[in-house]
Amino acid sequence: MRVLDRKVLRDLWRMRINVFAIVLVLGCGVAILVMAVGMRGSLERTRLNYYAVYKMADLAVSLVRAPANIANALAAVPGVSAVETRVTGLALLDLPGVKEPASAHLVSLPRIGRPRVNDLSLAQGRWPDPDRADEVLVNEALATANGFQLGEELAATLHGQRHTLRIVGIANSPEFVFVTAPGEIFPQQDRFGVIWMGEEALARAYDLEGAFNNAVFRLSPEVDSVKIKRAIDVALAPYGSAGAYDRDRMPSDRFLTEELGQLATMAAFLPTFFIVIAAFLVNISLTRIIAAERSNIGLLKAFGYSDRAVATHYAKGALLMAAGAAALGSVAGWLLGRMMASVYQEYYRFPRLEFEASAGVYAGALGIAVACAVAGSLTAVIAAVRLAPAAALAPPPPTSFGSNSAMLRSFSSHLDAKSRIILRRIVRFPRRSATTVIGISLAIAVLVLAGTFPAVMERLMHVNFTEANRQDVSLSFVDAREMSVVHGVMNLPGVILVEPGRADRVILHHAGKSVEETLIGLLPDARLSRLVDARLEVIHPPAAGIALARALAEKLDASPGDLLEIEQTRGRRLITHARVATIVDPMVGASAYMEIDALARLMREPGLITGVNVRLDAAQYDRFNAAIKEAPALAGASFINLAERSMRENFDRGVGVMNFIYLSFASVMAGGVAFSAARITLAEQERDLATLRVLGFTRLEVSYVLVGELAALGLLAVVPGVIAGTLIGEWLMKLFSNDLYSFPYVFNAAGYAVAIGFALGCVAAAAMLVRTGVDRLDMVGVLKARD
Amino acid sequence: MQVTEHSGNPTGDLTYALRKVCKRYGDGTAAVHALRDVDLEVKPAEMLVLLGPSGSGKSTLLNIMGGLDRATSGEVWFGNQNLSSMNDDALTQYRRKRVGFIFQFYNLIPSLTARENVELVNEIADDPLPAAEALELVGLGGRLDHFPAQLSGGEQQRVAVARAIAKRPAIMMCDEPTGALDVRTGVRVLEALVEVNQRFGSTLLLVTHNADVARLGDRVVRFLDGGIRSIESNSRRAAPSDLEW
Ligand SMILES: Nc1ncnc2c1ncn2[C@@H]1O[C@H](COP(=O)(O)OP(=O)(O)O)[C@@H](O)[C@H]1O
Ligand SMILES: [Mg+2]
Repeated sequence: MRVLDRKVLRDLWRMRINVFAIVLVLGCGVAILVMAVGMRGSLERTRLNYYAVYKMADLAVSLVRAPANIANALAAVPGVSAVETRVTGLALLDLPGVKEPASAHLVSLPRIGRPRVNDLSLAQGRWPDPDRADEVLVNEALATANGFQLGEELAATLHGQRHTLRIVGIANSPEFVFVTAPGEIFPQQDRFGVIWMGEEALARAYDLEGAFNNAVFRLSPEVDSVKIKRAIDVALAPYGSAGAYDRDRMPSDRFLTEELGQLATMAAFLPTFFIVIAAFLVNISLTRIIAAERSNIGLLKAFGYSDRAVATHYAKGALLMAAGAAALGSVAGWLLGRMMASVYQEYYRFPRLEFEASAGVYAGALGIAVACAVAGSLTAVIAAVRLAPAAALAPPPPTSFGSNSAMLRSFSSHLDAKSRIILRRIVRFPRRSATTVIGISLAIAVLVLAGTFPAVMERLMHVNFTEANRQDVSLSFVDAREMSVVHGVMNLPGVILVEPGRADRVILHHAGKSVEETLIGLLPDARLSRLVDARLEVIHPPAAGIALARALAEKLDASPGDLLEIEQTRGRRLITHARVATIVDPMVGASAYMEIDALARLMREPGLITGVNVRLDAAQYDRFNAAIKEAPALAGASFINLAERSMRENFDRGVGVMNFIYLSFASVMAGGVAFSAARITLAEQERDLATLRVLGFTRLEVSYVLVGELAALGLLAVVPGVIAGTLIGEWLMKLFSNDLYSFPYVFNAAGYAVAIGFALGCVAAAAMLVRTGVDRLDMVGVLKARD
Repeated sequence: MQVTEHSGNPTGDLTYALRKVCKRYGDGTAAVHALRDVDLEVKPAEMLVLLGPSGSGKSTLLNIMGGLDRATSGEVWFGNQNLSSMNDDALTQYRRKRVGFIFQFYNLIPSLTARENVELVNEIADDPLPAAEALELVGLGGRLDHFPAQLSGGEQQRVAVARAIAKRPAIMMCDEPTGALDVRTGVRVLEALVEVNQRFGSTLLLVTHNADVARLGDRVVRFLDGGIRSIESNSRRAAPSDLEW
């Protein structure tokens, strides 16, 4: 068998272009698989570990104010293993060297010891001294984004009063792995952060001395959280509790869960393409090797090698390729995984996030690669086994080209002889032609997707920042204010236009389903903040009742005419009812909407608003900011220009990396398939092409026969590729749509053109490289040998 | 087409004039001298048979004269053009316009029918015979739309003959055209060749290792070890049907 093994290697070397293509394409599939499965596992494990070590809360509850001693009653609820009562709130920050006010979530630290629930991991510095009211920890993302140093001072407006805070440490918490400002779509790590400070100082600032307004719980394993939530709600009912909730309503954990889901989709979906195509490539190459080896197979059998030995011999080549692809893909997947982990680390703040795929992942990848090789080589190996020794030794008859269908005949009668050769070969080898077409189509599809994401993002940003939110700043107040506050804001420097706004955080109940959402008050004829659909048309608030975004209506199983129960989660925790007036399709946000005055009346605060939208004179931007930094009543200020900038930065980095990966994979796919098709076409047609040269056809004319076949297959791939890309794109957009956006599918003509151009470019490059074989055709040699 | 003029046309009325043509494969001790100092003249419309044992250099010479290969040294004149000094493109044009080839293994394009194999070459010829007519001439009028896989060896070779004659070539080069055929089919192929030679006045170069086939030629060039051993004229050309082998 030694000699035969050497022959396996020599066969692979002879088909090295095909082997290379197969290893690359299959390697890509393995790489994506290792990356996605490994990344998912790493995130999942890191999350689990982080949550366990740092005691991530199982339940949380917000309330208006409860006396500190209630904590004992909460701890006594059966199934609760730990409680931490806290003071939390929002604050406006005046960051050194930054014009615009930023904001932060404030969370208290217990006076003695570390938090029993939602503990912190200290990245730098030390814990605040409980006797020093001004010492704080800030979250690492905010600190990094703003370049904070230990000892630096921040000015913060808490509950209308300005405080100077000193950073003594930088920390992460399982509660804030992913940080977004309430109601914001994208993280703005430099503009919204978390500040932890001593319980007493924070309570004093919020007039909550001896009391708390937030509690987090750890539960004993295997307990019924529904019962516990009910017990907590009962205990806290007198204190304005907004109801205990699970992790699925904790924003950070919810984002993480969604990300894990998307990785799972990616792991299932993208590698499949590559693996299936690789299987076909294996099949085509092996079929070719075996066809070229008929007489060798006959010889082996005549010498007495068993069918099994012959099958093993040819399967070995395929298995070697699988092993090569698994090795290459594992290394590439590991590298990509590390790259991805470092991108994740910027958004998901774990104390330490490392890409680590288990041995099982690599073993699984190898298993899939081997399965792909076996599936691909099956028919070819069976053909080798079936070959009778005598038949194998006789020279093969010329490849038979039977009569074609009438349609094909009449079509080919319009062609010149060279084009007829191309057409007949495509039809004669349908599986191979189809593999090439499908492979190139998939490459086009992946590229169409890569071109669609930026277009969707661009559209989303355009709608959000140009069509919908035309204000420069949105200010939100600590408490609801009289409408007359509009005049006060109008008098701030640089203000050109002010419109009132109102938003209430609520839980909507219908048909046994409950969803926490924002109920947004819309101003009829608003000029600044408007609700816009995918066609860029303004959605007007209903005259009466509530408008639900379609995604929300589906979650609630609600249609027009249905009565919703509406439960306020902040303030007085009012419970009220309203009817669904209509279903709407806003492009950004999937909330509930009402006419602004109707909303204020519904919340029993007629004439009160919770914020304003402002248009500014750009020349007075700095003066305006200086003025609002001092404003006591502000809970937050959101700047459209900054939001747009950070969204664009996030997007460029995240999508930039992804698009680079897509582009590389798509070119491997298109190039690999085209190369392998071109190489086999050349190998099979070498004799015919040389004959054409002998007969006096020029290199150009002969190249046409070779390149024309690929060109035809490439062109055939355009339409299915574009259709597949569009369908997959629409499907992915639906999949990625969440509570915050409904992603539209954006037809991006330039993106399609680039996709088609790039894929066909890869085909052309492959064709041109293989075409050089035409220059090396051996005219004399071809006349000596039979086929 | 690149044309190399020569002051005193070396060929005169001749079709080919070969001067000291050598062909060497490889270098040094491993060198094989496939042709040594071959001098040969070929007259217009002549039927010249190159006869010799296997390995004596016949195919090598034919390939050089057909513009498929180049001599290592020496001159190969076709009319007033020196094939030895032509570039690749000029040689391609020479084959395309002047030469019709027929090979031992037919070299048909398997994806084209008999008719289309002929049309393939007609598409690049100046004044070709219609494909059906050419196939009629070799007795294949009834098998126009068959693919090579559907034809016997003799039929395939006759398609090759039709393909070669359809462009009315000045020269026909046939390398062992009957080498893979039995007698009866071989005779039919040879008949077709002789017919063309007489009808169109093409110069016909026929390579064979079969002394009997050599009786067809006006002259017979005997090869041995890469050199011409003798050239004989046949007083009377035999008819293909007289041959026995
Ligand atoms: N490509 C080649 N490399 C080395 N030697 C060759 C090559 N082609 C032919 N020869 C040698 O040249 C000699 C003449 O070959 P050829 O012209 O094919 O002979 P014939 O056609 O008379 O049988 C032979 O000895 C052959 O081995
Ligand atoms: Mg020979």
